[in-house]
Amino acid sequence: MNDPQPVQNSLKSGRWIRSTCKMCLHSCGTVIHITDDGIINKIEGDPENLSNNGKLCPKGNAAIMRHYDPNRFKQPMKRTNPKKGPSEDPMWEPISWDEAFEITAREIKKSLDEDPRKILPSLEDFQKFNIWVWPLAFGNFNCFQSGGTMCGGAYHPTNGYIHSAFAAANDVKHCNYWINNGTGDGFSSHLHAAAQSNWVANARIDRGMRCVTVEPRLSTSAAKSEEWVPIRPATDRHFALGLCHVMVEENLVDYKFLRKDTNAPYLVGPDGYFVRNAEEKIYVWDSVENRAKLWDDPTIQKLALEGTFEVDGKECKPAFQRFRDILDECSPEEMEKITTVPAETTRRIAREFFAAADIGATIEIDGRTMPLRPAAYNYYRGAQGRKMGFQANHAFKMVNFLVGNIDAPGGHMGVTLDDQWVDKSHVAPGENGMMMPNPHQLGPVPPFAYPPNTYHLMDYFPVGVHPPHLNLEVFLNPGKYGVEFEPDVMVICHSNPLWAMQGPREGWFKFMASMRFIVVSDIIPTETTQWADIILPSHGALESWNMTMIEPPHTEGMCMRQPATEPLHDTKSEEDIFYELSERLGILEAYNGVLNMAQGLDHKPELMLEPDKKYTDKEIADRKGRLWNDKGIDWYKDNCAVTERRSDKWYRPWEGMRLHFYIEDMLHQRDQLKKKMEEHNVPFRNEWHWDDYSPLPTTRLDPVHEEPEEYNLFGMFFKDIQLNFGESIGNPWINDIVYRDPVHIALMLNPKTAASEGLKAGDIVRVESPYGKIYGRIGTSEGWHPDALGVSNSLSRVNIQHKGVPHAGGHFNDMLPYDLRNTDAVTGQPETVCRVKITKLDDWPAGLKEGLTVYDLVDDIQKPGKGGRH
Amino acid sequence: MARYGMVFDLRRCIGCNACVIGCKQENSLPDGMFFTRTLSEEYGVYPAVGRVYIPTLCNQCEDAPCEKVCPSGATYTRDDGIVMVDADLCIGCSSCAVACPYDQRSQVDKDLFEHGLFGTDELTPFEKDGYQRFVPGTIVKCDFCSERVDAGLDPACVVTCPTDARIFGDLDDPDSKVSELIRERNGKPPMPELKTRPKVFYID
Repeated sequence: MNDPQPVQNSLKSGRWIRSTCKMCLHSCGTVIHITDDGIINKIEGDPENLSNNGKLCPKGNAAIMRHYDPNRFKQPMKRTNPKKGPSEDPMWEPISWDEAFEITAREIKKSLDEDPRKILPSLEDFQKFNIWVWPLAFGNFNCFQSGGTMCGGAYHPTNGYIHSAFAAANDVKHCNYWINNGTGDGFSSHLHAAAQSNWVANARIDRGMRCVTVEPRLSTSAAKSEEWVPIRPATDRHFALGLCHVMVEENLVDYKFLRKDTNAPYLVGPDGYFVRNAEEKIYVWDSVENRAKLWDDPTIQKLALEGTFEVDGKECKPAFQRFRDILDECSPEEMEKITTVPAETTRRIAREFFAAADIGATIEIDGRTMPLRPAAYNYYRGAQGRKMGFQANHAFKMVNFLVGNIDAPGGHMGVTLDDQWVDKSHVAPGENGMMMPNPHQLGPVPPFAYPPNTYHLMDYFPVGVHPPHLNLEVFLNPGKYGVEFEPDVMVICHSNPLWAMQGPREGWFKFMASMRFIVVSDIIPTETTQWADIILPSHGALESWNMTMIEPPHTEGMCMRQPATEPLHDTKSEEDIFYELSERLGILEAYNGVLNMAQGLDHKPELMLEPDKKYTDKEIADRKGRLWNDKGIDWYKDNCAVTERRSDKWYRPWEGMRLHFYIEDMLHQRDQLKKKMEEHNVPFRNEWHWDDYSPLPTTRLDPVHEEPEEYNLFGMFFKDIQLNFGESIGNPWINDIVYRDPVHIALMLNPKTAASEGLKAGDIVRVESPYGKIYGRIGTSEGWHPDALGVSNSLSRVNIQHKGVPHAGGHFNDMLPYDLRNTDAVTGQPETVCRVKITKLDDWPAGLKEGLTVYDLVDDIQKPGKGGRH
Repeated sequence: MARYGMVFDLRRCIGCNACVIGCKQENSLPDGMFFTRTLSEEYGVYPAVGRVYIPTLCNQCEDAPCEKVCPSGATYTRDDGIVMVDADLCIGCSSCAVACPYDQRSQVDKDLFEHGLFGTDELTPFEKDGYQRFVPGTIVKCDFCSERVDAGLDPACVVTCPTDARIFGDLDDPDSKVSELIRERNGKPPMPELKTRPKVFYID
């Protein structure tokens, strides 16, 4: 108190600037305090940014520790140890930027000249899509980044079909009954976690919104919900179909919505296609006149949703009736056998959900009267990361379809990835009165080719997101897939595939070792940088410019990032790095062409990049700002461009079009792919799982339920808010909270399950799946479904050169499959649950006895007295 | 003069620990040290099981056991009710830390400032700047970010809390949000049987 100078960081003499967080891919507004000495000493949420209302999650609060991390790469470096391996010290040697660029360009150029398909990119900075699209400049569609499949390989294409949008969220401002299935939305994860948990807390406490969480674990969402419905892992689709069964059986349905706003009345023939006339117009059935009419016939009195009819000599049924037929076998009692959710619970929730949806209610917003449907079913990775991921997604959407809440106030909403400019519409009319489906939310996919032009077989997923796990399947089975090239150069930027990829590490290590040259641009050492030949260190997020907005649930706009300090080290922006490489590789013109298209700059021709010019991060950010609202970067320094989402874009933007209750396009895609595979005699065509392509969700079990019986439990992986995305473990402030949380420091079992396995908390175990194994220590909690073994993301790291990242005994992803059997043939989504068996060990295996493991750290923290530090 | 207190809304708290890290940022806390923590407690038997997240910090007791036992007068209560430690007077005897029934006081050992947050035996510029506030050997604790309060701001943990589970204000003002919440939702102090008269209240 005798010191006249403030001791608290936010009050020290200095300045505040406005910027954007990058501790995850989403874009919370921040204000950053910089002292007179140039030290960044406090980051808070920007109270003017409607997206996060001045709030920040624990990770956003920890950004300073990423900036000042002494493990950061401080200058370009080249590897001097020719031996590569997970424990090999690369023996980095500092080099000049010029030498680093020269070596990198020379090595990439060799492959570019020989066969551009030999280049394998993993460019994963979600806030910089301008880097992500770089390989398109040389026509390369390879993909080694995990982004799609480890989040929403099937989720994004389904949202593209149902909402013509990238993601989805419940409308928190009006929702009164919120089902969370396998997602932490509003509590711990998914879209803009800090912002969404603020809105959801307000809805829960101020408005009494009821939350029901369906999940195998007592997650944060489950703990805060009025009701936790424990479910056996990997059976969520069946739970949703059970709900649908009850709703249809008991007429808990918004029939008006289905008739007016969806294709549910369209007649489907025996082949599954809609019944069309010679002009390709689709038939419906008028139940008053009892005859078929074309869908847009003005004389239609009442559209039939149920029944079996005959048109042009063909037996046909409305799409809704087809769904009813599937639901016949989905009684809650039948589904209980799969999900373990008591049938009475399913029936009750279906009735509560329908009652809360308040069918018939309307609301006026901005002069527009719309249906008000304040009940919504939300879900994400935990529920949809299935082999039959597309069908899982579709089943969850069906619960929403039945109460007519798609994009309705209070309902289940499509969320765009990036609107680019303020008036851009994300929906467009398609054929026969339906909305145009838009499954390719992340840009173009490669056309069909055999032999394949991509190493991960993206040539055969016309609806999908890249399935990078198949790189390993192809690598380990070289002849089988007819691939005529071997990737030999990896270009990696802000991506850690060796951490994120599923399939055993031993396999991935062989894959990495087969590369002739690996260049990585990142800021800190990771599992992947360990294998690099050249490190091109990039600026941290507090040293660079950017402009972005990533899938904001309730807002729109652009979030500007600006440097808070000069770069601490001899680093460059990602833009500088990739422009320099582009120039040296002779692809500068092509890259600028790709950027003009992919970034939407061609919408405002004055913003288009000139073919032969290199641009800085600030210049690119400036253009994105101008594209949004015609304001330059200086305007963004003083103003927040984030506003509430315009209601005409948020609520029923497709008004007048019909939504895809029945996704007929599945059959088109299936049959076109089949035909091309036949024409080209693709040798693995008979292994392709054509049944995955279904216009309606079915009850067929995922293969994870058909593994040998000795694997008696379901292994599942989870994160909480401290561990969302990357940028977590290794940050001392994150470590400080994560390794004090009982759910993040052990392999979790229900105590009864542990007892029946002869295990108790503290036992050292080996966990094996049919595909791989890990080691760890058992913890028990009543908050786990008895069939589940839960593994936190905090236990997924292996020894690397970052001293703050402790080894955890192997990575859960080692136990996941990487084959076609466990890959959704529609979207490329791999199965993310595995069957496991547990063996008790007397001691840690060799290799885990030395070095700092998570468990050493936890023991140290739990020591009495002055323990608690690491 | 206001009498400051805090309310923790247990229905809102999601246990995310943003407050804990926000506090570390604001106060440059060394590794393993906390002015506030969020505890996580499970109860019940599967499937009727729940978990409650419990934020904690110095309760700024009206009848503070720490202040009573302090032999040097280092611990004192400001007029606005915030319990302070004057590092210049603190002799580091730890009596207060032992007396605090809520385990909210820590001693800052010299070695805390040597290993650094990254355990590299070097301090980051953030640490070099921030650690100047600490006098090794003395006792530290949460003081509701008293400097921020003096500047008319809420404590750092309050402003960052994603769910607004921490509410700060004047307990003597019947119209303040904290008074309203304590009144309407039956706010309870921690361990009232100890008669320490905390200025922190829990509502659920």
